[in-house]
Amino acid sequence: MVIDLDRCTGCAACEVACKSENNLATVSPEQAEMGRAMSWMKVISEVEGEFPNSTLQFFPRPCMHCDNPPCVKVCPVSATYLGEDGIVGQIYARCIGCRYCANACPYTVKYFNWYGPEWSESELQHLNPDVSVRPKGVIEKCTFCHHRLQKAKEDARAEGRELREEDFQPACAEICPTRAIIFGDLDDPTHRVATLKDDPRSMRLMEELGTEPKVYYLRSRA
Amino acid sequence: MARTPRTFSAWAGAVILLILMIGIGLLVRREPAVSQPIAFNHLKHTQELGLDCVFCHTYVETGAHPGLPDADTCSLCHRAPLGESEEAAKLSQLIADGEPLRFNKLFRLPDHVFYTHRRHVGIAELDCTICHGEISETEIPPERPLVEISMSFCLDCHLEQEETVDCNACHR
Repeated sequence: MVIDLDRCTGCAACEVACKSENNLATVSPEQAEMGRAMSWMKVISEVEGEFPNSTLQFFPRPCMHCDNPPCVKVCPVSATYLGEDGIVGQIYARCIGCRYCANACPYTVKYFNWYGPEWSESELQHLNPDVSVRPKGVIEKCTFCHHRLQKAKEDARAEGRELREEDFQPACAEICPTRAIIFGDLDDPTHRVATLKDDPRSMRLMEELGTEPKVYYLRSRA
Repeated sequence: MARTPRTFSAWAGAVILLILMIGIGLLVRREPAVSQPIAFNHLKHTQELGLDCVFCHTYVETGAHPGLPDADTCSLCHRAPLGESEEAAKLSQLIADGEPLRFNKLFRLPDHVFYTHRRHVGIAELDCTICHGEISETEIPPERPLVEISMSFCLDCHLEQEETVDCNACHR
């Protein structure tokens, strides 16, 4: 995934799309105050400089799907793992809720379910049947909309062709009105992300930790 | 240390307790019996009349769930009384009365398993009997699944067919 920060307007449509696509539970304001809000994709805003010469910088932050994920190393039950397609998965049925992974993750993108989800009558009607509703006591995280990848692979196989770049987009990339979020296969040179990751503006968060994140940010300012 | 009668009886007690617990565990684990509104005869329909599975299980090749027939499907043939069996007469009466017909699912998977018939039947063209056994040869609806489907049952086949064993492929 490549996120062009120069194009991001901080509208947080990605956050909303993600929550809706992945059945994210709503957390009460009191719980959110305690840092228990869950948002697999979170737009972080930061003020740079001092007023009146200040600017607001936005950082949409999904799971980085590291090639060397610190969360996987500490999971005692193999509930989180690096999958064959490079996506760091979280298997809720296996998770024991120890939260080691949430503490190991330098990007703080793993969320713990402190309570079971509560849905209103209308919300129950539009839960996504392709994604499970997480119970109390497990960790959850961004999956790059893995269920969409499954569906796209299935469609490609049914039609007897290879998977194309446009076949699979996570909800955040699909909704982004300024096309700041670009998704594709970093290993496939024909995909746009493969070219963009080598852009001079390209950088990764906390690269020095050796986590090898698969989310690249493009930013013209240093 | 010599084995005293006391430690022996303690051991025997522990073994008996273990056997009892396993026995109770197996009994409790057994799935509850599934009953059906009409005693559908699979043998008659699939073998003698030669109907295809997809005739009643409409979405077996295209959907996650294969679908169970409703009164409309049955009424394609059973609107007027057909055959000699009591169940067929009951069905025709039900259709005539405009009563809904709801068959119950026999093969159930846990909520955290995402299985699709499309992938297995539509794309991989697997035979129904692999997971459902000889259901097409039953004359009355079985109360319990004919094949016990467990994770190792799925994994054995996936490994044999060199298919994905990525956890996320089935759990998400």
